[in-house]
Amino acid sequence: MATAAIKVWPASWDRKQRSSATMVTASVVLVLLLWLLAIPLSWAPEPIGNNAQFFAEGTRVTVELTAVAALAGVLIGVLAALGKTSKLPPLRWIASAYIWVIRGTPLLVQVLFVFFALPVIIPALQMSDFTSACVALSFNVGAYNAEAIRAGLLAVPKGQMEAARSLGLSTFYTFIDVTFPQAFKISLPPLVNNIVALLKDSSLAYAIGVVELTNVGNRIQAATFQPLPILLTSASLYLLLTTVMTQFSNAVERRFDVEGRQS
Amino acid sequence: MSKVATPDASGPLITVDKVNKHFGPAHVLHDVTTHFNAGEVTVILGASGSGKSTLLRMLNRLERHDSGRIVVDGIEVDDDLKHLDALRAEVGMVFQQFNLFPHLTVLENVTLAPRRVRKTPRAQAEVKALELLDRVGLKAHSHKHPFALSGGQQQRVAIARSLAMEPRVLLFDEPTSALDPEMVKEVLDVMKGLAGSGMTMIVVTHEMGFAREVSDRVLFLDKGTVAADAPPEQFFGAQTSDRIRAFLGQISK
Repeated sequence: MATAAIKVWPASWDRKQRSSATMVTASVVLVLLLWLLAIPLSWAPEPIGNNAQFFAEGTRVTVELTAVAALAGVLIGVLAALGKTSKLPPLRWIASAYIWVIRGTPLLVQVLFVFFALPVIIPALQMSDFTSACVALSFNVGAYNAEAIRAGLLAVPKGQMEAARSLGLSTFYTFIDVTFPQAFKISLPPLVNNIVALLKDSSLAYAIGVVELTNVGNRIQAATFQPLPILLTSASLYLLLTTVMTQFSNAVERRFDVEGRQS
Repeated sequence: MSKVATPDASGPLITVDKVNKHFGPAHVLHDVTTHFNAGEVTVILGASGSGKSTLLRMLNRLERHDSGRIVVDGIEVDDDLKHLDALRAEVGMVFQQFNLFPHLTVLENVTLAPRRVRKTPRAQAEVKALELLDRVGLKAHSHKHPFALSGGQQQRVAIARSLAMEPRVLLFDEPTSALDPEMVKEVLDVMKGLAGSGMTMIVVTHEMGFAREVSDRVLFLDKGTVAADAPPEQFFGAQTSDRIRAFLGQISK
């Protein structure tokens, strides 16, 4: 699939230009999709056509949930990975405990916990259904990202750090300029895996009443009793979103591929 | 760039005083005491496991010493972060495995440290980097990534990268040991040029020709102690020590 995408662009373009072009195109497609989705859906027969606007809104909420949780989740993942590889034992303990709890409990329980149970412990943390879902999804994907990023950090040869430090670079710049870019490249495929899974897992926000794509489908189905066209539409929309996302992430991978292993 | 070193009136550039180092139960360095003068080229020889790389790596704290004292150009080598940053900006290091940053171009490899540590503006750092790359014969390759270069070329970039920080001393940790035979010469030639310009160099190597021709002094380590410290003519000449004769015999085979 990666190579199929690349051949769209003129052969004279180099790797960077092609990957930029793919990233821009995928972003534009996504925005157009979210903006104009209701139009093609409205051409479909009942019960899809008359609910086109409703489907479009659900898709938008799904993308919003995914985008927020993906960004926050990568940040949390980096912090937790740093914690787990830290020299300071307390940081290692905190990061390990976080990953242990999150990976060891179902996401559905986490979503319900943030929405219903957290305000019981700390009343100030009474959040809307959408915010609660974002928080639960962020911390969930963050734990999986942490292990992906940690694997990347450990895969960077020790000599890289020694070279950076012996040039006088501080630990901060060693991380920013040398270790992290190399670790991120290695972590990218498993990170993409996690984010594709996140897009689909965002459907669990349905349990606390967030009106995202799955919830929309369910509500229409409850009113019309026509599961087949509705579930087919929901599934197709998810597939469309993951396809655009995969194209984007493939382009990011190619951008980091300075050795041309994938071209 | 060529910094003609003036002999430091206030004493040696680097002093190593009664330094010990253990790796677990292995006592790799035993009360090592020596010094290195500015402008001198010292070659450290010794069998594998004699502690020569460890001694070199302790000079910029890639290994820490268990006891004793190391002072580089007035900077105490210890865990104080300020000391460490100052130390590493003054001491350049060239590694056996080159350790170029694979995600950066040759030019970016050379300009990274000056820009980040010395806060040199990018344009200025690039002019300087191209000068250095020209000096090691690789100006035409500045836009490439390290994977596209041969081992010898990568090692020459690594030397240029170290020089970009204008270090007072350059450490070489077996710089030609990972190279194909036909590439050893191009790296040694660059090192000879550097030695000629007055750079202070400490070189761990098995290149006897380089030691004989270029060095001012040979330090021979045996089982973690300095077993010989002599000018090359004397070291490679009528050698009285059986241990050293045996070592030289092994190497020349």
